Amino acid sequence: MENNSQDFYLIDLSYALSPADIVFELSTILEQEMAHNQKVYLKLGNVDLNQSQLLSIKSLINSINSTLNALSSESKQTELAAATIGLNVSVKEKEEEPSAQYIPMTEHLEKTVSAEMADSGFEFEVNAEKETQEIQETETVEEKENNIGNKALNTVSADEQQEPVPSLEKTAAENEGKEEVLGLDKESAGIEETETQNNDNSDNFENSDNIDSLDEKIECKQESVNIPPLENEEIQAQLDSIFNSETKLENILAEQENYPFVQEAVDIEIPEEEELTEEDYQILTMPTKYVKQTIRSGQVIKFDGNIIVIGDCHPGSELHAAGDITVWGTLGGIAHAGCEGNRRARIRALQLNAIQLRIGEFYARRPDALNVAYIDKTNSVTPEEARIINDNIVILKLTD
Amino acid sequence: MTGRVIVITSGKGGVGKTTTSANIGTALAKNGAGVVLIDTDIGLRNLDLLLGLENRIVYTLVDVVEERCKLKQALVKDKKNPNLCLLAAAQTRDKSAVTAEQLKAICEELQEEYDYILVDCPAGIEQGFQTAIAGASEAIVVTTPEMSAVRDADRIIGLLEAKEEIKSYKLLINRVRPSMIKANDMMSVDDVVDILSCNLIGIIPEDTGIITSTNKGEPIVNDEKSLAGQAYNNVARRISGEEVPFLDIDEPKGFDALVAKVKKLFGIKG
Repeated sequence: MENNSQDFYLIDLSYALSPADIVFELSTILEQEMAHNQKVYLKLGNVDLNQSQLLSIKSLINSINSTLNALSSESKQTELAAATIGLNVSVKEKEEEPSAQYIPMTEHLEKTVSAEMADSGFEFEVNAEKETQEIQETETVEEKENNIGNKALNTVSADEQQEPVPSLEKTAAENEGKEEVLGLDKESAGIEETETQNNDNSDNFENSDNIDSLDEKIECKQESVNIPPLENEEIQAQLDSIFNSETKLENILAEQENYPFVQEAVDIEIPEEEELTEEDYQILTMPTKYVKQTIRSGQVIKFDGNIIVIGDCHPGSELHAAGDITVWGTLGGIAHAGCEGNRRARIRALQLNAIQLRIGEFYARRPDALNVAYIDKTNSVTPEEARIINDNIVILKLTD
Repeated sequence: MTGRVIVITSGKGGVGKTTTSANIGTALAKNGAGVVLIDTDIGLRNLDLLLGLENRIVYTLVDVVEERCKLKQALVKDKKNPNLCLLAAAQTRDKSAVTAEQLKAICEELQEEYDYILVDCPAGIEQGFQTAIAGASEAIVVTTPEMSAVRDADRIIGLLEAKEEIKSYKLLINRVRPSMIKANDMMSVDDVVDILSCNLIGIIPEDTGIITSTNKGEPIVNDEKSLAGQAYNNVARRISGEEVPFLDIDEPKGFDALVAKVKKLFGIKG
């Protein structure tokens, strides 16, 4: 049993019949957040406690940043022991202060639980409403987000459905990974990995329109659901916190600038059909090595020509080709196309998860945020091709 | 400045040499020291994975030795801590690619600029081990409270003692499970220390968080809540000369511990 009186946090254990009961109940009560940082007033029944037992109770209360300020007991021995260790033994009148209302423990718990249930239930209803409306009204937004290829949106979490902001952060994080480039003393300063998906949707960073429109929609919903004013405020606060995450995005970007490896993002225009250069013809006339096996960690395939691998290349493996590299499977290791300096060489794979891609003297590395399994053996594949456009390694989808 | 070269070795594989290297290195760097981690497990490298630096490696220890790049170029800076650098091992070669003299030269070069050079040693006592200990003046012997690991550690300590260059060696006991020790199913820390008669530098409790942290590429010392992380942090502080008491891994911590003690006092079981 517990209650807040004006100054003290009253813990009533007068119903406890043995020292063991007291400790058991007390530890249960003290585990709750609300018991922390309080001046505790402990009320005990007719149980005899000795000094060491009282001291251990005191230290138990101290351990949660609360202090045992006063104690009352029906037992003379306990009161005596408390007095000897310097505790305030309160007089009878204090116990009967009108402000102290005793709610039985179980009832109190039930109350909090039911309150929580009501809270969550309420939220759940609102969310359900939002979800359905969201699906109907914001199809365009969702489509757009799907186009970005954001995996996060498969979840039905209310927050993510409400706002595009979390996904924005995700994109930012992905970009962060992509934009980082090793600051090695390599000749090639302009090393960059940029996915066309992200290029196409680079306006994603500026979709304040989306946020605005969503904001309006959420407001509409709030009206339709008929929420009591107080909860309305709560939701507004939640929304605020979500919108404020835009500043987080700025922070991320600011941090990036301080980061030594980071290089600014470059928007790359994908050129239309190009004429073949002499370097392209070189690659076309090169011999081709055909490998039909799994390339495992530590294995290296070096060839003065093109390499075609029918199978997977595991992380830790390396492919070095003077010409193109084609992997009919998952490319998970390091691939270096045009290792003799041919910049027109390309790397293509059914599933391009390479740790590093090198073309000519350029290299790009896998974004840190991308956490793929050791080797991805999924059935769904996205054939992609990496090549150099305007001194940047660019990965293009081959599905179109 | 002359940095300290510390080799982390064990004899037996799988006792946590690489995990220990990654975590001590990260903890030392967090406390402000300049640290280089050298992975000498050529052909079976893993240290890069534990630090999450796999995708940044362009040049390796072998490239430095074979003069394809400068030493500075091969040092990969950590993502979070600029004080921490990794010199990765080559995955596509084997232990014969680097000789003891070559590694010693590299350590001497690094000593001038960094406070700590931690050498992650491969398992075994063959060439790879001999190479790894070549440049070191101190050693940390990692073992687990298992008979096989203790016997291998004993052998390693014998080899280290025979090496004049190694001035001091300390014991680190990894993957300790207090519950099993209580049930007499595992050798206690004292037992291991008695058998090996060697100074202790740390006791690391078994922690499932290690597996997650390995998969994520994030050393567990960055997780302040983790008991193993705290233990590794303490080891790092002991290495830098601080007196840190050994972590009490037997009892639950904080409020739960107190409740348990009080309950015991009042004669409640469970």
